[in-house]
This record gives sequence, C-alpha cells and structure tokens, in this order.
Amino acid sequence: MKVEVENCLATRIVSNFDIKDQHPGGGRVCVKAYGLIQKTYNPHRIKQPMKRTNPRKGRNEDPGFVPITWEEAFGIVGEKLREIRGNNLLNEESVPRLAVTTGGGGTPVQYMGTFAAFLKAWGPIDQGYGAGQGVKCAHSEHVYGELWHRAFTVSPDTPKTNYIISCGLNSDASGGVVGVRREADARARGVRRIQVEPHMSITGAVSAEWVPIKPKTDAAFLYALIHRMIIERQFEETCDISHLKQRTNSPYLVGPNGWFLREEQSGKPLVWDLADHRAKPFDAEIGDPALMGSYPVSGIEHGADNEKFLHQSIETRPSFQVLLEHMKPYSADWAEVECEIPAATIRRIADEYVSQACIGETTEIEGQMLPYRPVSVVLGKGINNGWGGYSCCWARTMLACLVGALEVPGGTLGTTVKLFRPAASRVGSVVPGEDGFMRYCFNQTSSNEWKRNPSIRNAYDTLIPLLPDSPWSPGLGPAHLPWLFQKEAPKNWPRTTPPDMWICCRTNPAVSSWNAPEVANRLAEFPFIVAFAYTMDETNHFADVLLPESTDLESTQLIRIGGTKFSQNYWHHEGWAIRQKAIEPLHDTMDISDIVARFAVEADLVTEYVAAINSGAGGTRLAREDKYDFSLPTDQVPTSEQVWDEVCKAASWDLSEGREVHDLAWFQEHGFMLKDFSEIDWYLHPAMKSQGLRYEFPYQERLTRHGRELSHRLGEIGIDWWEEQLAEYEFLPSYRPYADIWLNYAAEYGRDPGDYPFWAVTARSMQYAWGANAGIPIINEIANNIAGHKGVILNRTRARELGIGEGDKVVIESVTGITEGRAVLREGIRPDTALMIGQFDHWKTPFAKDLGLPSLNSVTDLSLKLTDSTGSGADLMRVQVYRAGDRRDNRGQATE
Amino acid sequence: MSAAPSMPSVQAPQSSAAHGAKLSSTPRWGMVIDLNRCVGCQTCTIACKHANDTQPGVQWRRVIDVEFGTFPDVERVFMVVGCQHCAEPPCVPVCPTGATRRRDDGLVTMNYDQCIGCASCVVACPYQARTIAHDHSWYYGVETAQENHSRHREREGVAQKCTFCIDKIDQAMDRDLTPGIDWDVTPACAASCIAQAIHFGNLNDPASNISQLVRDEPYFRMHEELGADPQIRYLYSTPAVPGRDLMPEDLGDGRLDDLENALVGKRQQFWDWRAAMNWCFGGLSSGAVVMLWLWSLYMPIVPASHAAFNFLFAILMAAGLFFVFFKIGWKSRFWRAVLRPQTSWMSRELWAALLFGSAALISLVWPHGLFFAWVGVAALLFLVCQAKILQTARGIPNWRLPLMPWIVIATGLLEGTSLLGLIAASQLPAPFLGGRDTAVTILPIAGVAFVFLNASLWTGYRMSARDAGIGPLSRAVIEKASLFLDLVGHGLPLLMFLSAFFLPDSAATFLVIGGAAAIVGGIFKKFTLIVGAGYEQGYALAMLPQRGSGTKAVPGLSNIKSSPAPTRVYASGS
Repeated sequence: MKVEVENCLATRIVSNFDIKDQHPGGGRVCVKAYGLIQKTYNPHRIKQPMKRTNPRKGRNEDPGFVPITWEEAFGIVGEKLREIRGNNLLNEESVPRLAVTTGGGGTPVQYMGTFAAFLKAWGPIDQGYGAGQGVKCAHSEHVYGELWHRAFTVSPDTPKTNYIISCGLNSDASGGVVGVRREADARARGVRRIQVEPHMSITGAVSAEWVPIKPKTDAAFLYALIHRMIIERQFEETCDISHLKQRTNSPYLVGPNGWFLREEQSGKPLVWDLADHRAKPFDAEIGDPALMGSYPVSGIEHGADNEKFLHQSIETRPSFQVLLEHMKPYSADWAEVECEIPAATIRRIADEYVSQACIGETTEIEGQMLPYRPVSVVLGKGINNGWGGYSCCWARTMLACLVGALEVPGGTLGTTVKLFRPAASRVGSVVPGEDGFMRYCFNQTSSNEWKRNPSIRNAYDTLIPLLPDSPWSPGLGPAHLPWLFQKEAPKNWPRTTPPDMWICCRTNPAVSSWNAPEVANRLAEFPFIVAFAYTMDETNHFADVLLPESTDLESTQLIRIGGTKFSQNYWHHEGWAIRQKAIEPLHDTMDISDIVARFAVEADLVTEYVAAINSGAGGTRLAREDKYDFSLPTDQVPTSEQVWDEVCKAASWDLSEGREVHDLAWFQEHGFMLKDFSEIDWYLHPAMKSQGLRYEFPYQERLTRHGRELSHRLGEIGIDWWEEQLAEYEFLPSYRPYADIWLNYAAEYGRDPGDYPFWAVTARSMQYAWGANAGIPIINEIANNIAGHKGVILNRTRARELGIGEGDKVVIESVTGITEGRAVLREGIRPDTALMIGQFDHWKTPFAKDLGLPSLNSVTDLSLKLTDSTGSGADLMRVQVYRAGDRRDNRGQATE
Repeated sequence: MSAAPSMPSVQAPQSSAAHGAKLSSTPRWGMVIDLNRCVGCQTCTIACKHANDTQPGVQWRRVIDVEFGTFPDVERVFMVVGCQHCAEPPCVPVCPTGATRRRDDGLVTMNYDQCIGCASCVVACPYQARTIAHDHSWYYGVETAQENHSRHREREGVAQKCTFCIDKIDQAMDRDLTPGIDWDVTPACAASCIAQAIHFGNLNDPASNISQLVRDEPYFRMHEELGADPQIRYLYSTPAVPGRDLMPEDLGDGRLDDLENALVGKRQQFWDWRAAMNWCFGGLSSGAVVMLWLWSLYMPIVPASHAAFNFLFAILMAAGLFFVFFKIGWKSRFWRAVLRPQTSWMSRELWAALLFGSAALISLVWPHGLFFAWVGVAALLFLVCQAKILQTARGIPNWRLPLMPWIVIATGLLEGTSLLGLIAASQLPAPFLGGRDTAVTILPIAGVAFVFLNASLWTGYRMSARDAGIGPLSRAVIEKASLFLDLVGHGLPLLMFLSAFFLPDSAATFLVIGGAAAIVGGIFKKFTLIVGAGYEQGYALAMLPQRGSGTKAVPGLSNIKSSPAPTRVYASGS
C-alpha cells in the first residue's frame, strides 16, 4: 500500500499500483489497512512510556499509570532482565522465567522488527502463553496438514478449481486481498462452491449453495461423502485408482494388530502385487498393487515402543480395504440424523464432487503435465480445530486423495510450511522419510527420548508428538494450558507458576483468548509485565511498564512477500518489500527494533543480539559463505535503520544471486524487489513424484504409534487426565458424536444441559479481523454496514418466539461466562445458533469499550474437557439467550 | 414498495450494434457492478472515505447487506450503492441554485459554493445518494491533526454525494489516460475494489471495459421504472449461478417494514417540521388569497380591506418561508434559490412569493383590481409550486404520486375557504365579504365542495398507495392518519358547513368550528405526508443471483448420474 502525506501528515491510504502486475491482488489494499491513519492519530494512544504505581493488580484496580522517560523505562525493564539472567533462566520447575506472547494467530513477523533476534539472543523463553491460539487458528489443520502435505493451512487451487466443498471456511472474509480476488475471479469463471455451516457467512452468501449444518457435526457430513463415493458407489468408478495405488499408503498391507505388515529384514511395509500374486516391499517393482481383499502374507508388525509382531502367512488387508470396512457405518442416512443435512443433499454433493473431479485428465503447468482435478474440500476454524478437527481434516484430505486432487492443479493445496524446514520453500520441504512418506520430525515418545519435563509451560513437546521442535511449535502447543494450570495444576503435573517477566507484543489475551475474563484473572497474578503498548487495553491494564511502540506508519521493516503463504497467497513472484516510515513518530514512541535493541543492551546481550540478526533473525542471513557479507559488527548496537539497511542489501543480493545489491534508501524509493516464483511450486505433486513419495494417507500408522507410546509414558507417571485425548490416536479416525461434548458440557458444572439451548459461534469480520482495530472509529462505521457488527445474530423466528425483538438487549450466558449485546435478527442462521462476530466485550480499550458488543470469548471455557489431542479447542459454546432484564427462567428452551 | 419486482428493468445483453449506434465522442461515464463478485468487504466504502475525506457517518459509496427469503430458504446479497449519475437525474432540475448539474459526460456534479443546503436534491434522489452534514464531527469526538487537515468546510451544510472522483476523471483527459483502465484516474471505489466487483468506464464506447461486460452479461438497473436513467448496471449471474426473479416470499414476513432491512428506506430527515410549516402557512395563505380573489370577482369587496387581508396573508406566507430559511444549511446564500426558475419549482415558488408579496404591497397603496388579480394569480402559482415541489421530490415515494399536487392545491383551497369562513364569522352579521346572506351561503357551499374534493383525493391517494409503490411503513402512517383526517379534516367540516348552510342563524359558530377543523386537518395532513409518511425510496434488486439455501440455492448439476445405493459385497481375496 501507499500512504499519502501532506504537510507531514499522513492523510490517506491508497492502493500501490506500482506492484499491480506482480501482486495477485493487483496492488490493492485490505479494508483494515485504511484504518491505519486513524490508528496513528488516535488521541488515546499511549504517548510516552508509563509505569504502574498501584502494585495491586486486578480488573477493578486502577493501575495508576504515570508517564516516565524512556531511560527510566529501560532502567526498570533492564533491572528485571539482569535479575533473571543473574539468577537462572529457568525457574524451579525448569521452565523459562521470561515469557513472551504475540498475537492471537501469531503476530505477523512483518511487525516484530528485530524482536526475534532478542528472543534468540536471550535463550530459553516461554512462548507458549496463548492469546487465543488453538481456538482462533486452524489448529488441527496446521499440525496434520504439515504432516500430510506440508499444509500449514489448506486452500483450494482457486484459479483452476471448479467445485469447492467448504465446511465453514469463511475465505471471502478471511482470505485477504488476494484470496477475495481469486475467489471472485473463480466465481465469475463459474466455480461452484457449496458452503456448509450453521450460519450464512460472507462466504456462504456468495456461494452457489449454503447448506445449514448442526455445529460440530461436519465430520459426519464429510464421512458420508466418502461413504457415498466408496461404499454406496463403486469406488473404481468414483476414485482415482492410480493415485491411490501410487501416491498413498492405500495398498500397504495391515497386520492383525493394526500396524503395517513389513518385510522382516528391511522393515519396509509390504504391498500385495496382484500381477505376481505375492507381497513386495512398497518400493519394489509392483505390477498392480491390491487395494481390496485379504491376502496371506508373512512379515512383521512394528508396534509401539519397539514391540514387534512376527507373522507367518497371516491374513492381511490393504489399508484401503481397512478403510472400506471402517467407513461402512457412515452412510448419508446415518449422517442426516447426525448433522441434520438431508441424505439426498449429501449424496448429491458427493456425486457432484466426483462428476467434477475430471479423473484421468491432465493439464500443463510450465511445460509439465500434471493431473488436473478441479475439485476441492476446505475447512474453516471451529471445524478444523478442537474435538472433531482430526476427523474433519482427515476426511477432507481423504476426499482429495480419493479423486487424486491433493496437491495437483485444481485440487486441494497447502499454502505454507511453518513447522517443517525450509520455511521459505514448501516444495523444498518435501524430503524422503520413512516408509516412503515425506519426512516428519515428531517429538519423540519412546521411553528414553520422551521429554518428561516440558521445556515450557504449555508442554507442547511433552503432550503433542505432532509438534516438532520449530520456532512455531510453542505457539501451536496447547497454549491455553498455562492459564488453566496456573489456576490449578492437574494430577502429577508440575506446579505452573507465572513467569518472572512477561512481555506482551501486539496482543490482548485478556480479550482475545477463550474465556478471556479468566485469562485476565491469571494475568493479574503475573508479577512483572512489560507491554508494547498502543492504547490502554485490557491486557495493558495489568502491565507494570508500558512501552509505546511506533505504529506501522512510523516504523521500518523489510518484509518477505510472494511465493505461497497463508490464505490463498499464491504468487508468480517472490521477494521483498519495505514498510517504511510515512511520517515521523507523532509521540515519544520508538520503533520496536530500537526498543528490543535497548533490551539487549540492558541484558548485556548485544553481541548475541547482533549475531542473531546476522544469522537471519531480521528476515534473512546477512552473510553467506563465499557469497556476501553484510554482517553488522557485533560490538555495537545497531539502530533500526542500520539493521534494515544491511538486511536490504543481503536480501537483494540473495534474490538476484548477487546481480543487484540495494540498500534501504533504494527500497524506500522503489518499494519492493521481486523475482519469478514458479507456478509449478504451488503443487507438491512434481516433487512427490520425482522422489517416489507417497502421502501418508489414509492410514495413520506413525501417528498412532506415537499416540500409543505417549499413552504409555503418561501412564508411567500417573497422568490420567489426557486419556480422552490419547484415544484420538487411531489408525483411521472413528466418528464420535463430537457435538455431544458441548451439548452435555453444562453437566460438568452440575447444570442442566437443556438450559443451554443455543450454540454460540463466531465468525471472521473482515473489517476487524483479529480485532486489534476495535478502537478505531472509521472501522466501526464501515463494519456496521454488514449485519452482525452491532450485536448478536439470532434467527428471526426463534427470537420472536422468545420475545426478543430487533435491537433488544440480550444476555448470552454459558455455564462459565456471560456477555451482552443487541439482538440482530436474520434469516441466514439456524434457529439453535447465536452468532457473535469478531471478538469484543472490551472494558478498557478506548472507543471499543463503549461499543457494547458481545463476545464469544466471554462465554467459552478453558478446559481439558474441551481440549483435543493436538491441544486445541473449538471456538463455540452452548449458551442460553434471554432478553436483558427478563428473569433467567424466561430463557429459550431447546428445540431439539 | 421499495423492492417490488414490478417493472421490467432487466436488460438482455446489449448487442454491439446497438452500442455502436450510441457511439459518440463524448464519454458517458458509468459503472458495472457484479453482485457475484462483491463480498461486502467495504473496501470501496472506506477507500471512498479516504479519497474524499468524508466526515463521520457520511458514506458516498457503501455496500448494503441484504437477505431474502426465510430460513431455511435464504439468500444474502451485498449491493454497492451510491450516486447513479443518472442521465435524467431527478436531483438536477429541482436544484433552485444550479449548484448541482449534469455534465455532458454524464457526471452529476456539485458546486458546494452555490448550494444553499435546501435538500431539494436530497429528497429528489431515489437512490439515497445525497446527504447534508449540517455540523462537523470528529471520529474520536475530538479534533485530530489529520482530520482537521482533511476537513472540507465547503461541504458543511450543503448537499454532498459521490462525484465518481471527478477530479481524477478530469485529470485523465490531461494525462491521456483512460478512467476504468488506468487506476490513477479511476474512481477510488472501483480502483480499490479487491474483488473487482466495481467496474468503471465509458458506456458510450462500445469497446470499453464496461460496455463489453454489459454486452456479454445480462444486467439490471435499480429503480429503472422511475425514469432517471441510472448509469450503474448490476450484473447478477455467472456460469454457475443463473439469475432469478425476485419472488414475493423473498420479501415476505414483514421484511419491507423492517427498518433494519437495508433495502427499506428510512424516514427522511431533511425536510422536517420546519419544511412542513412552509406548506402549512403557504397553503393556508395562498389558498385564502386565491379564494378571496375569486370571491372578489363574484362579489365586490372593499378594496382597502381586500388589500389589508392580502397583506396579512402575505405575512403568513412569509412566515412559512421563514421556517424554511431556518432549515437551510447556508442562510447567507438563500437568495441563490431564485436562480433556477427554468427548472426548479422551489425557485418558482420564491418567484411566485415575490410576485405575490410585491403586488400585495403595491395594492396596499394602490388597491386596484389589477393588483388584486396579480396577487390572486401569484398566490395560485405559489400553491401550484408548493404542490410541484413535493411531486418532483422523486426520492420520496409518497410525494411523487400524480395525485399529490392536487392534494396540496385542494388542501390549500379548503384551508383558504375555511380561513375566509373564520374571518367572515368573526364579522357576522356585517361581513366585509359582501353581506351576511352571501357569506353563509357561498362559503359553506364552497367548503362542502372542497371537503368532498379533499376527501376524494385522499381516498384516491390511499387506495392507490400500494400500487404506486409507496412502502408499507409509509402506508401505515397514511392509514393511521386517515381516521383522524376523515373525522376532523373532512367529516367535521362537512357537517359544520352543511349546518351553516341549513342553519344560517348559527352560521358563525358552524363556520368557525368547520373552518378550524378543516385547517387543523390540513395541517395534520401536511405533517403526515411530509414528516410522518415521508420515507425514502430505499434500494431494490430487480433480479437476484440464484444462490443461497434450500429453494434459493442454485439447481443441482444436471449432468450428475445419480445412481441408486447398491449394496456392495466385499469379497476377500478378489
């Protein structure tokens, strides 16, 4: 984007048409970015550092913030940093004394300056305190997606697909500028999208068909689609048999204990060759791998904890045969009862999906012939996280595998990698691993390698084998557990004490977390909080020191752009763009890179800090052996400008293979620098094919092995509160009535579940997104043009039955929380659903606190019961809804 | 009804030949908006606010969020709205100052320095595209440096609306660029639209981007039946999503009387009670003058008295105009309102008032019949102007009905007659109107006649309201007012005037009661019509994309072979 500046005043945001030919969105700007002008000139900004004078912390305590100088602020922070370093970086429970939390979905690194360099310089830091992670992100999709097809998030190949089944993915509100453009182009081209969700979202509105579904039953719908394709219909007619045989583990033989039957010597999984009538290792010359049937084979099963099962001529089945038997119960008629979608509709959608899959067809991409499968299945938040998320993600990927539509043109694609390396190249992360699959680094679960003592409080490396050791893993762990366990530690689990110091960076967990009020209570127990602050907000309220950061328009950073990124960002280019100062800081604020540089000084970590920048913490390495060296001297503290000047040079050298070297001034003048990004790299298929790899699908042997081992480990130390999560590790995920977990949840608190007849759900607001701009009036003004931004959306007929009229103030109450707002009556929502868009219920943030908007975060619960095996929860809750002022026993009754 | 599928406003794709015939060197700027691309993100809304520095609450461009049907058969549509830069813009002829005009290239322009803020154009626009911000406000409640810098004082208190970013278009000519193709010279909404739902271009060029779009795709125009020839075309279908007609159930269940429904026009706030007072005082005074003049033709009146009453009525008329003066945004520019008598009934109204006032003054010193005729004709003209002002305010459905001018005129005449009756009654048994017998005969007869006329017109108005496109909210106000109006404004005067005729001894009392009731009824009627029932047109979609849930959803793919569910046997070892 560009900023118009007049008389040293930033006046307007405009599109950047300089990049219109390279940016897939034509250089246009997201609606939220237009709020940056008011964000900058917000009179409520914190205009200088402040410190707390009231040592008592609590929502009802006045913090007594008073202005201080930056020197005083750094003095206070530095003293604390030195105190920690002088003591021990780990506390008595061997977890870091310093903790850092970034945004609800991970604050974009584009706005963190060189903060990562400080974190790296410091050493062990607990980055596992969540600000909404696990419910606000596509959690199960992240972890399973990376395992299965390097898909931190999943997207249709929108420009080429013709048929999309979308379970609640609100991509036309969450897909960003590029996503919205691609989707609009696809619709104009004639794509047919079936949107399955309990309320008609923005995306549902512009889909060809909206199918209302009972919340948390999406897996039933997806399973029934599979059932229709492979049980009701002849799978030979509906599936891409070649793909199943060559690119999946469908032909791998399964032994009686459920593990792959392997060749005894090599340990390689066996496949039955129908041509030779014998079993062979998966990578041998196989004429015709069997998908169905049962075959007498000798071999060995590798169970958990090195348990081996040697078999002689035992009946084994290909995993696809196991799948066929596994899916038998899940008919459309069964699903109709479960998810309340007519069976005929389910069958029709399955049939349409198959009919549009173009099985057997190919298309040419940059000279290469690739399978062409223009059908896709995608999942939204709430579907792909929490209980049922695994089943849904598995079924989604299964549907793609069945017709060969995974990672091929037109099909279901991953967008980016975060847990696996190299992070900048999804295709480059495709490397051979065991059993013919892509390599994946599970957290070890064997008895001698399992990390019994978690490295951070959310215990991702102890409880979640799927989260390997990557910078993103702490944030993807069960990031709500520290809040939960701080209140009460579960059985046989170390005490969870607050960090000695917590740094809060561009996030507001006291509003954005699940059960935000409870998180606020825990924050009040934190002894020392430093917040990069913009305005007063619900989290800053508990801080000890507020460090006002310069806004996006007042600071500088070089940002990587292009390639494939989250949310449908598929470019034909990749490179770098500069976010530069449009105006000088209006107040006594500092660029975040300069703030953290002072942290390094105070902590006596300058050398380590600069070394971290040199090694890439600023976005790219500043030196590569025999290529270039733009390293910063490690004996002095660089300014933000100096850092980005060198990063610019290194990035431009790297991008151009040394042909061009550009400094910060060049980027400030030209804005960006790009090189071509091959479209073939949008798809993993060529890399998979060339390396002879298979997708680890449908059979989840490795995952189950880790689950079993983890079960053993936890059992060994007497932990029984993770057993329901452990039960989720299955070779093929069974369907469970996930909705019942919430339907019956009130009973956990001794209440009658029938008293909570509504599903409270949320949806993405494109105008507010994560909600950090809730205090910006112009955003509120324009968002109010879209229904739901003024309150809670209820079904009109249902509301009238309850005596609730348009605009009436209503109370939304769960067993654990309460929130209030105005009733917005609409037709595009199931009668048993209440929709609260975005996340509000502010009580401190100026302007936002006067909006009177309800928030789902005030009625959800932090709970092990609602935590799945990946450590995530689903963003919904059962609630009662009644008119404010009415007696509670006038609330609505269940329609079920 | 604001969204009735009443008129055939759907267009088949245009043939290139038809377009070629319209080819002209003068561009015709217009927009094509694709309902299937728009996701309601409001980027256009906020980009427009940035580009044009509009103040809080003012949105020249916005996207409304509309639902059709009832769960589980529902459709939701996002519709971009704003000034349609009509080829026959209703806002232009009504402007009394010439501040708003239509250029040859089709842009409907605003000259803020000429506008007096009378809101004639605002109520004339059937697209709710115009507004007046009388007071400046700040987003945070306090002034910020950026907002102060971007403040447009020239727009305060005057009409404002989308300009199609006229400055950019004018730059295009100088820079040899093409609006709609070159983003720098394209309206901010279209240039910023992340879905590329808003297309801008030259409709006179058959090869232009938007001409090609409407040549290849069917489209509709909003409220085309109102004859403004709007220059925004809405595409509603894709290869996967056919279009469909609006069905009665789409807007059933009281959806058109739901003010939260974005399609439904709100009660207009621009002509408030002060404007209504002009119609009250103006109708009463002009009606009385006309009736007095007609009376003088039948029965000579003492000229000095005639002149004195005319002068009193002139003061009454001036009082009505004074209320309007206090309502306009720029009082120091009020005189500009006389500048467009060639098209504006408001200008004509002022001219009529000037003619009337001047003659009334002259007749005071020179009470000649000629001047009484002048006064009478001018008053009648004033009354007609008032009637036409309402009728030409085409943005308010209940004002633009063909019966409306007759209602205003008839009401004025009844009020005038009633006022004469009151005056006559006060002077009985020696009235200046030429004698008691005449007064108690003619006035009641005239009163009865005008009551009948008014009652008939009102009934006709009520009966035709639905078919004439008046929305349910407005109709409800009209219906609710009818009882009081028929009892007090029609029934009671009828009874009293008849009583005065048949019981001449008590005529004074009857004339007073009947006249007062008729005047009260007239005032009530005008307040009802102007303030109470004055709802904006609202928005409408003549066609809808066929998408949504249940019966609204796109039909299933026809090429599906829907096989029955065979029971499959899984043979082992096969």
